Amino acid sequence: MTTTTVPSAFAPSARMLVVLRNALLPILLVAEVIFFTVAAPGFLSAANLANVVINSADLALLAAGVTLVVLLAGIDVSVGPMLGVVAWVGATLFVAGTPPPLVVVIALLLGGALGAVNGALVVGGRISPIITTLGTAAIFKTVLFILWDSTDVFAGPVVPALGPARAGGLPLVGLVVLAVFGVLAYVLRHRVFGRRLFAIGNDAEGARLLGVPVGRTAFAAYVLVGVLVGLAALIYVGRVGVVQATAGNELTLPAIAAVVVGGTSILGGEGGVLRTLGGLAFIALLQNGVVLMGVPPLWNGVLVGAAVALAVAFDVLTRRTLDKRIGARK
Amino acid sequence: MRPILSVSGLCKSFGATTALTDVAFTLGAGERLAVLGENGAGKSTLIKIIAGVYPPDRGEMTLDGAPHRPSSPGAALAGGVSVVYQEPSFFPRLSVLENLYVGREPRDRAGQVDWRRMHGRGEELFRRLDVPVELLSRRMDALSLAEQQLALIARAVDVEAKVLILDEPTSILTDAEVRRLFLIVQRLSDAGVGVLYITHRFEELEHVADRFIVLKDGRLAGDLPASAADHDRILEMMSGRPVNAAISRSAARPGPVMLETSGLTVPGAVSDVDLTVRGGEVVGLYGLVGAGRTELALTVFGVLRPTSGTMRVDGRPHTPRGPRDAMAAGIAYLPEDRKTLGIFPGMDTLSNITAVKLPELLGRLGVIRRAEERKLATTWIDRLRIKASTPAFPVTGLSGGHQQKTLFARQLATEPKILILDEPTRGIDVATKTDIQQRLVEVAREGTAVLAVSSDLPELLAVSDRVYVMREGRVAAELSGDDLTEDAVLRATMGVNP
Repeated sequence: MTTTTVPSAFAPSARMLVVLRNALLPILLVAEVIFFTVAAPGFLSAANLANVVINSADLALLAAGVTLVVLLAGIDVSVGPMLGVVAWVGATLFVAGTPPPLVVVIALLLGGALGAVNGALVVGGRISPIITTLGTAAIFKTVLFILWDSTDVFAGPVVPALGPARAGGLPLVGLVVLAVFGVLAYVLRHRVFGRRLFAIGNDAEGARLLGVPVGRTAFAAYVLVGVLVGLAALIYVGRVGVVQATAGNELTLPAIAAVVVGGTSILGGEGGVLRTLGGLAFIALLQNGVVLMGVPPLWNGVLVGAAVALAVAFDVLTRRTLDKRIGARK
Repeated sequence: MRPILSVSGLCKSFGATTALTDVAFTLGAGERLAVLGENGAGKSTLIKIIAGVYPPDRGEMTLDGAPHRPSSPGAALAGGVSVVYQEPSFFPRLSVLENLYVGREPRDRAGQVDWRRMHGRGEELFRRLDVPVELLSRRMDALSLAEQQLALIARAVDVEAKVLILDEPTSILTDAEVRRLFLIVQRLSDAGVGVLYITHRFEELEHVADRFIVLKDGRLAGDLPASAADHDRILEMMSGRPVNAAISRSAARPGPVMLETSGLTVPGAVSDVDLTVRGGEVVGLYGLVGAGRTELALTVFGVLRPTSGTMRVDGRPHTPRGPRDAMAAGIAYLPEDRKTLGIFPGMDTLSNITAVKLPELLGRLGVIRRAEERKLATTWIDRLRIKASTPAFPVTGLSGGHQQKTLFARQLATEPKILILDEPTRGIDVATKTDIQQRLVEVAREGTAVLAVSSDLPELLAVSDRVYVMREGRVAAELSGDDLTEDAVLRATMGVNP
């Protein structure tokens, strides 16, 4: 038997496209840092960067969760409102004198339960993830509004590590975030569950035929998103200090932005949480930098929206080019 | 021979449709058993039951002496049933190595994915099959078509299978790869693996089968040793009536040149192609997958842009900016993959036939003239003998062969000057296939210029007046008359001088 070598006219350009996809974010990040260092005095100071970390820690955990479901070609646009509900419950229990460790456990369980609702609808009900989570997002918003009942809940950090505390100048939540991302990166690379997410995101039916429990894995991913939202909700309480009627709503879009800007494909099957960390850094530094430059915070929405649109357009266009080659074989 | 898989009394229905009735057979260890049958005969259902995709309604299966009742495809795989499906799925954005081990990643004692062991096993496998080891770390979507194909075969073979099921594996393989596959099948059967081989191609029987069974309407219609593989007899068993497989082809009286390309070049796909098709003749286009045949067709149809070269249609310069321009010039194109590129699955047969013709069926105020639309569809349903009880029959309720006829009708309804068909009969049962081939020749004889792209060489030889063989984007040979032989086509395909 001899080795077949069929000339692959497309392969080099496809490889270059993959390289470009991987290199784009680091280049943008460096350019961003240089730009703001020059344009915004104080941007590159330790104090400012610590602030950025504290202000985006809850967002980071939401983005980590969204990454998991985007990898399996799903999405969760309910993470912001879900965070609001858990934040209200957590803050209310804490203020009522519930022991902090118990508050943490309840927040994680509640988040997981809300995530399970999404998972059950997507997997069991076979409803598309975007519709499911748009629906549950609306429900979570209403639930929070009813719970809130015209009374803001004021609360401090449930435990110090989930607040703005620093140890030797390093923000403690930053360490929490790094630990979570570290664990998730390990799971995605070295645990079977993680590899299954990728396989399902590439071809769910194909994965099923090879013995991958597609439904169970997807359900678990949505539950995991909820658990991460639960933790993020307590960080939110520690950061903001108050839970209002629309708590968390503003976080959904930047969380998805961090995922897609990071380079996890919105079409599934490719990416990872460390990329999301890069995407998050880009979004968080962007929001911080323009404020330091004196641009009204109102413009944040425009910048984040534009970043999402550009990142998704780039993703879809390059993927289409790559997929065209695959389509050619059939 | 020790039986490795036996099934008995297998029954399966989907709603009102009976797919399998009392199917029973035994596969011996090391035996190669071919499963034949028309589309809809129950072959796919049979495989999927053995592979754990569906549970049977009734019946027993025994695998290597133990009852075989897989609760899922994963369970069947773990029990030793490995399947290569007709349209094999792979994971384009994962590495080749991961593609090999999805669903069965080696793990260490801590339950972690053992990447080092995975890599070691992948390397050993590729060495054994003579596939370049450096492919393992590349992403699947960065491979050439042939390399992807090799990786998929390797994946199926690597499972320590007791039974290997191949569902029409050759329908997307090129001849060289088919020979490699046969060799691998031979080795596995020598090693005691039972091979179940689903095929539509008679010429493969002697290479891959010791015995064959024939399914008809979900029942076992025959069980014979391969030595008794008389083609006419098998056809009779499959269809239940005598079939004259040969199509009648009167001598072509070629008319004026309808399509002409000169120096046509599309980067990475087509280089410097000169080709002519006359009215009244069928011109075949043969080549390995990736040789540029489909790309050439798509260029004529305005989907791909040439960077140099010219095209003429009916004597006039042809520079389409898209398929609409090509259609306006009188070109019809029947795409390669009917599922994704042709059939409108949510619609009925009638609408599928008239879809392209609608602009001509508009009355005042742009309202579709339903009566005329219906008449047009009915005409074509009758002429092509499409098995739709009414024009409103849902197109997805038709068998693959009749779906293809529906698409064929859609293109013919536009009365094209040039008809381009890409793999017109792939994956279609023999009787329907012959029917379509016959119609194709008739259409040409009525004056249409027909360009048929096909990987099915006997088909191409049966229908074509002339054949162009493409190789690596170029025309390697133009053959007609007495020069048009299987041997000559294959030599040109492989780049061997006559």
